[in-house]
Amino acid sequence: MKNEFTRREFLVISGKLAAMMGLGASAVPDLAGALETMYSGNAKVLWLQGQSCSGCTVSLLNNSYPNPVELMTRYISMLFNTAITASTGEVSLDLINASIDRGGYYLVVEGAVPADMPEACMMGGEPVADQIIRAAKNAKAIIAVGTCAAFGGIPAAENNQTGAVGVMEFFKRKGVKANPINLPGCPAHPEWITGTLAHLLKFGKPALDGKNRPLMFYARYVHDQCPRFADYERESFADMFSGEGCLFKLGCVGPNTFGDCTIRQWNSGINSCINAGAPCIGCTSDTFALKAGFPFYRKGEILDGLK
Amino acid sequence: MAVSVKIDPITRIEGHLAVRLDIDGGVIQNAYIAGEMYRGFEAILQGRDPMDAQQITQRICGVCPISHGIVSCAAQEAVYGIVPPENGRLLRNLIQGANTIQSHILHFYHLAALDYIDVQPVAEYKGNDPDLAGLKKWIESGAGSGGLYPFAPFLPKYSGNYITDPELNIMFVKHYMDAFKIRSLSHRMGAVFAGKLPHSPSIVPGGVTQPPTAHKILQFANMLNQIRTFIDTVYIPDVIELATAFPDYMLIGKGYGDLLAFGAYPETDAGDKTLLPSGIVTKGEVNDVDLFGIREDVRYSHYSSSSAAHPFESRTIPDPQKNKAYSWLKAPRYGGRPLEAGPLATVMAGYLRDEKSQIRALLDGVLKKIGRTHQDMQSTMGRHIARAIQCKIIADRCREWVDLLIPGNPTFTDFIIPDSGRGFGLTEAPRGALGHWIELKNRKIKSYQCVIPTTWNCSPRDDNGLPGPVEHALAGTAIADSENPLEAVRIVRSFDPCIACAVH
Repeated sequence: MKNEFTRREFLVISGKLAAMMGLGASAVPDLAGALETMYSGNAKVLWLQGQSCSGCTVSLLNNSYPNPVELMTRYISMLFNTAITASTGEVSLDLINASIDRGGYYLVVEGAVPADMPEACMMGGEPVADQIIRAAKNAKAIIAVGTCAAFGGIPAAENNQTGAVGVMEFFKRKGVKANPINLPGCPAHPEWITGTLAHLLKFGKPALDGKNRPLMFYARYVHDQCPRFADYERESFADMFSGEGCLFKLGCVGPNTFGDCTIRQWNSGINSCINAGAPCIGCTSDTFALKAGFPFYRKGEILDGLK
Repeated sequence: MAVSVKIDPITRIEGHLAVRLDIDGGVIQNAYIAGEMYRGFEAILQGRDPMDAQQITQRICGVCPISHGIVSCAAQEAVYGIVPPENGRLLRNLIQGANTIQSHILHFYHLAALDYIDVQPVAEYKGNDPDLAGLKKWIESGAGSGGLYPFAPFLPKYSGNYITDPELNIMFVKHYMDAFKIRSLSHRMGAVFAGKLPHSPSIVPGGVTQPPTAHKILQFANMLNQIRTFIDTVYIPDVIELATAFPDYMLIGKGYGDLLAFGAYPETDAGDKTLLPSGIVTKGEVNDVDLFGIREDVRYSHYSSSSAAHPFESRTIPDPQKNKAYSWLKAPRYGGRPLEAGPLATVMAGYLRDEKSQIRALLDGVLKKIGRTHQDMQSTMGRHIARAIQCKIIADRCREWVDLLIPGNPTFTDFIIPDSGRGFGLTEAPRGALGHWIELKNRKIKSYQCVIPTTWNCSPRDDNGLPGPVEHALAGTAIADSENPLEAVRIVRSFDPCIACAVH
């Protein structure tokens, strides 16, 4: 096969492919479709990052149905997300500030808030902590995406130096009367994000549990839907990584972790932690990674027992 | 007239970055680049079970978690005295390869390309492509909406010299959209063995938890074919197209010319041979890396901990109010010199080390098409070319690695965690040379230090006042319009900065 062809040839080939599929020009309006009913120009999303790794943004980009371009041109209007926006510098600040003044957007926060050290997360000379409070006031709804934004996550772990907390706790401390929807996960599953946005746009706020997590994603324990549940019942335990059997003795915390990851699976249904032979490390939990004395794996504990 | 211009935030990078430019006579005299976010991973890791490290350090960065996970495992394995079995080594290479491919495609199309292309000509598109026709419809609906920002996230933006040829713009926009699907597919491919991406659960010290099966090998190989076709027929030709459209960017954004590569993707279980070469490149020569030459300065960084320490001795104590400090990044130096990390370093090290290498053949092929030599690679466009070539080298080799997997053979070597010990691991993250240094005491982490490619590249001035590589690359650049400093952000983005990594 010829591996290199020119730009013009590529466009021609694309056209030929469409012709081969029997799609004439008349079929194009159907393919392109009318804009979806959910998109009304009001589905504005303002996405701000606190102490984050951008993993939840990257995870969102892994969504298949809709894919990122479809999401941003048919369902929502992504006013700002630092990884995607064409704007930069003053243009970005003006856009964010004018959007906040206008209001009526869905605010997404990714990352924790450094409650004791505001200088540890800044944008445009302003602590992001203050920016989030400003943005929260005019938001239609607030979504804390990922465990850092929901519960603090790794930035809030023992020995942290910045006093990092999740958005809900930060608002409580600052007396901000707003109640974010929490979508914990490290990262959040893209379908938890797009599914929550779809629910907000079409049906309003989804039913939440006591920790503000949508029940449609977080009602059941990982353990209850575990592909290795039968191994647990038969007390057939893996004794080392890559082995067959229930992963409990290696450190799995599926029995204490809410999430539908094992049945939804990741990256458009290709795999999940436990399916890949890896113990659940409880990344959706409000206690995720917080305590040094509660390691992810039990090898150290077993070695301690042998002492 | 002298003006001071602040670009804050610099978007379409990972994280929180700002730069201040002192411009006089339309030319940048001095640049000061600042990482604006700190979490304190190294302090958080102290006192923890060492096996937590490969999970926690992956969360340093959502774009390159795999490099952190693998290098953390390598540092631990040095302490535990083990190496993964062949299947484990191959699986790690495949997972790391998949993640690096998605990162490079994301960088070129979604982070960098919007500085060069213009989405608006799609409004005049008359063809049959459903993606372009859908985007055209969206543009038309926004034009009459009366909304404040109907074309976000594509507008507003800096004004400047974007591509004017409508056909070329439309082609790039189409590829921008295709690239979303391909980078997502690349993550999906990696997750076949990684469990999930970003943040893989299957990478553990000793190997990988996911055994290969014939079906998984088939899935991976099939997805890789689509991705390789995209790299060969879209990504690399587009980089050539861009370098042709903006020839001056082979001259703009020149670095110091001193490059650092740690090498990556072990080809033997002992790890003595790697796909991507290591080396320090200076003045057209390549030499071996001496790790004892690495120090981290903090004179202009928000830390009160002692300056100029080797990673084994370095500590990280924040002091946000510190006098004269302007960044959360430290300033790593090698024998007192700032080095540039990234695909440019691996490609140039490979180019100079081996005249018969695939790297040399590919780079010479690209350079011939744009009428340049390898000496022009220390530039804005040179970095994009190097990244695309590295992407192809990795993807091509993944096709061979996946065929070497043998179902039923071990993927994991068990181990005992000793009470104490020191180790380090090195690799090439998508953004360049990455190292983790670990020390254990009482089977817990006593100290953990990460030295990260963007920390080298976006470092502030060091103890001697020497600017970091990006600061240096910005200085001397002509800025046509100081209210729209497009030239500056093109240079910064060519380094593919990751601030969550660089500060951690």
